[in-house]
Amino acid sequence: MSAILQESGKKVLLMGNEAIARGAVEAGIQLIAAYPGTPASEVCEALIDAADDSDYYIEWSTNEKVAFEVAAGASIVGARAMTAMKNAGLNVAMDTYMTLPYGGVKGGMVIVVADDPNAHYSSTEQDTRFLAVYAELPCFEPMDQQEAKDMTRDAFEISEQLELPVFVRSVSRISHASGDVTLGPVQKKRNTVAFNKHYKLPYRWNVYGAPGAVSKHEWLKGVFPKARRIANKSRYNSLELVNGSKVGVISSGVAASYSREAVSRLGIEDRVSFLKLGIVYPLPDELLGRLLIGLDALIVVEEGDPVVEQLVRSYAKENACGVRIFGKSYNQIFKPFGEINTDIVSKAIAGVMDITIPDDPRESVRKKVSEIVAPRSSTLCAGCSHLGSYWALKKALKAHQGVHIINGDIGCYEQGGYGLFASKTDVNDKNSKKYPVLSPYEILDTIYVMGSGIGLAQGQAQVGYKGGKVVAVAGDSTFIHATLPALVNAVYQKADITFLIFDNRWTAMTGHQVNPNTGLDTLGRKARVFDIAGVVKSMGVESVSTADAYNLEEAENEISNALAFEGPSVVILKGECMLQVLRRAKKKKTETWVDEETCTGCRQCIQLGCPAVTFNKEKKKAGIDEINCTDCGLCEQVCPYSAIKVGGKHK
Amino acid sequence: MSIDIIVAGVGGQGSILASHIIAEAAILADSGSRKNGKKAVNVRVGETFGAAMRGGAVASHVRIGDDVYGPLVGKGQADMVLALEPLEGLRIGVQYIADGGIAILNREGFAPVDVKIGAARYPSIEQITKALERLGASPVVFDATSLAIEAGTAKAMNVVMLGAASASGVLPFDESIMLEAVKNRVPKKFLDVNVEAFRLGKEVYAGSKPGMSQQGKKQNA
Ligand SMILES: Cc1ncc(C[n+]2csc(CCOP(=O)(O)OP(=O)(O)O)c2C)c(N)n1
Repeated sequence: MSAILQESGKKVLLMGNEAIARGAVEAGIQLIAAYPGTPASEVCEALIDAADDSDYYIEWSTNEKVAFEVAAGASIVGARAMTAMKNAGLNVAMDTYMTLPYGGVKGGMVIVVADDPNAHYSSTEQDTRFLAVYAELPCFEPMDQQEAKDMTRDAFEISEQLELPVFVRSVSRISHASGDVTLGPVQKKRNTVAFNKHYKLPYRWNVYGAPGAVSKHEWLKGVFPKARRIANKSRYNSLELVNGSKVGVISSGVAASYSREAVSRLGIEDRVSFLKLGIVYPLPDELLGRLLIGLDALIVVEEGDPVVEQLVRSYAKENACGVRIFGKSYNQIFKPFGEINTDIVSKAIAGVMDITIPDDPRESVRKKVSEIVAPRSSTLCAGCSHLGSYWALKKALKAHQGVHIINGDIGCYEQGGYGLFASKTDVNDKNSKKYPVLSPYEILDTIYVMGSGIGLAQGQAQVGYKGGKVVAVAGDSTFIHATLPALVNAVYQKADITFLIFDNRWTAMTGHQVNPNTGLDTLGRKARVFDIAGVVKSMGVESVSTADAYNLEEAENEISNALAFEGPSVVILKGECMLQVLRRAKKKKTETWVDEETCTGCRQCIQLGCPAVTFNKEKKKAGIDEINCTDCGLCEQVCPYSAIKVGGKHK
Repeated sequence: MSIDIIVAGVGGQGSILASHIIAEAAILADSGSRKNGKKAVNVRVGETFGAAMRGGAVASHVRIGDDVYGPLVGKGQADMVLALEPLEGLRIGVQYIADGGIAILNREGFAPVDVKIGAARYPSIEQITKALERLGASPVVFDATSLAIEAGTAKAMNVVMLGAASASGVLPFDESIMLEAVKNRVPKKFLDVNVEAFRLGKEVYAGSKPGMSQQGKKQNA
């Protein structure tokens, strides 16, 4: 049985995202729509695992905006609905997200956004709590997995009470960490699905409907005091006053966990008053007022940007509190970037309170010992089809002079911009100069966000860049998610660019979710396969071809033709994600081997970037890591001396 | 009071599962003991992220205690590092192991791509244990992979390591509870193999540390 459907009352270990999913189940969720994004994907995944034994509708949508709208639609007709996304996902959903609060919702609607301080899996560290404030939505911030579950459940109630979507802001350290969670009862009752055009307000679901958008904004402003009352009374906001204390700590979300540990580690429980925040917007002003009385110093501890801090500062200023406030903006005791932890919080609080923390005498030993710790670089997987696509692209580009611009995008293939080992070995290795094909890990020149590559390419070409070829690459999921309007634009404006679609059938990087190109639906049933080539042709692209990413000659030829074409050209490079292939057909004994008598040690195979190709420095010979090798045949095609062979090894 | 453990390894070795088994055992033990009126313990599992995302270094932090809130072990605070791969044991040990902590290492190394292409050197097992000793830790090394193969499959290596961990005396619950958690979490098909793997891990740890042999003898399998 699914972990999130275990019986009520049981104490179990749940990952934060599973806890959020369980909270939704306890609330009697009726619809979930999401697009994958680390660290948020497991919210939807856990609910997919539980779907067979539940009665909600669930889908992987084509992007976050669509997912948001699907959830909003369900809520407008009264159902309890949820969407979950990573930080950047909210940027995609932004337009609808900002407008839906004008008039709000009917069925409880919960928006889960998992931020990623320290950018472990993201392009930025953006703090989406700003966007909760921006859209004027109540914002929950769980401190642990138990709260993640409880808050999600309660968020549906509050959403219905206020008739507004409620925002649950998680972070990697909540979503991707696990903790003990005591499960609550599952609500059996489901909201009735019905439509009322003038539900409590005229033209409720039409911002332009009379008397217009400003009156809907006024309605939204009217909800705020009610939300503030909820925040002041919520069990997720708790004030622990210490008599006569001169120092206060305000801490929200996961940072409250760190702060609690720091206070106990420093042994100052009896010297500081503590306001733990679980609802950060609206700020519980009554609790804050009671905390501030008589304080000399206030320390604001939060994960991300100084969102709570700014709200607290404006409150303190308005109420003429003489308290000195420490945080991430003024009186900086925390770096305003990167993430925090208990060690950092302990140091910061100790600094304000003049407490000395003794240094670990082992620090110098650590430095010394660290020298022998070999790095473990990140690579594409052994046998990944993207290795073939990049190789073919590099070879095809060699026929053209100049500085080519390769615009990357987001997916496993973004590793083409990570810059890795092979480039380093290249510099000192005279042999490899003979084959100046650079590592695939250096090939991408721009990477920002999903779908951005093709628009950037068009701008470069349109302004007259003639220094070399202009190329954009994107995966199949990214193609569907965010490149379609940009490609239409490139055709319309006659941009001279080449767009490569790396079609591996899956949304691989985020954990192999399905997409319209997979041939399976969200619950694993057969589905229609999206016709990428047909869509591209129908957009008016005149040069469209398809090639096998594992056939380097074919792939190079098709890319060469596309590069030579004037105007927008598209090559679809097909090769299913190797991990999926291996999942279906178990790996057999590796048959790829290096004939050491033929191998000249030229290292061209190393330049392929496959982690299963090895090199013995002493012997100056290539080798194959048999545990990792998938017999994909790419290195065999790459070797200029036919020293690498698949099959036919004589004993 | 808290117990801090980090399970280190590379992607695919089962270090996350191992950490979840330890955490689940802590919850089982707590649910049992609370019937006798003890204070509830909190359990957390967190991860650290290396530069690598895939095929890369994995470290899973397990924290057990009544004053535990956050998911990460503090620097220099790990009571135990359970290393399914020795280089990863060292990588984590350098940052996290407590003065006086225990490091249990599987001997079998898994070379990073940087080493495989000759761009970096893999330290010898002696260098690794020496380094851990210099940090004030007690390293114990054995071939968990071979023991797992002996039990039936190399995949059970993580459970061999759990057997060793439960024989170390560091964990705040009885090894029978750890075995129960193992049984809950491994595929039913491989139950016997894993029970045997657990037993072998326990025994080899007991044998490697004479002082611990008492613990090793308490057999619940
Ligand atoms: C707006 C946004 N949503 C989601 C993500 C998370 N994400 C990272 S890569 C990726 C998609 C990868 O799929 P695809 O383009 O098919 O490439 P693959 O990884 O399969 O090679 C997603 C959804 C993101 N970075 N930004």
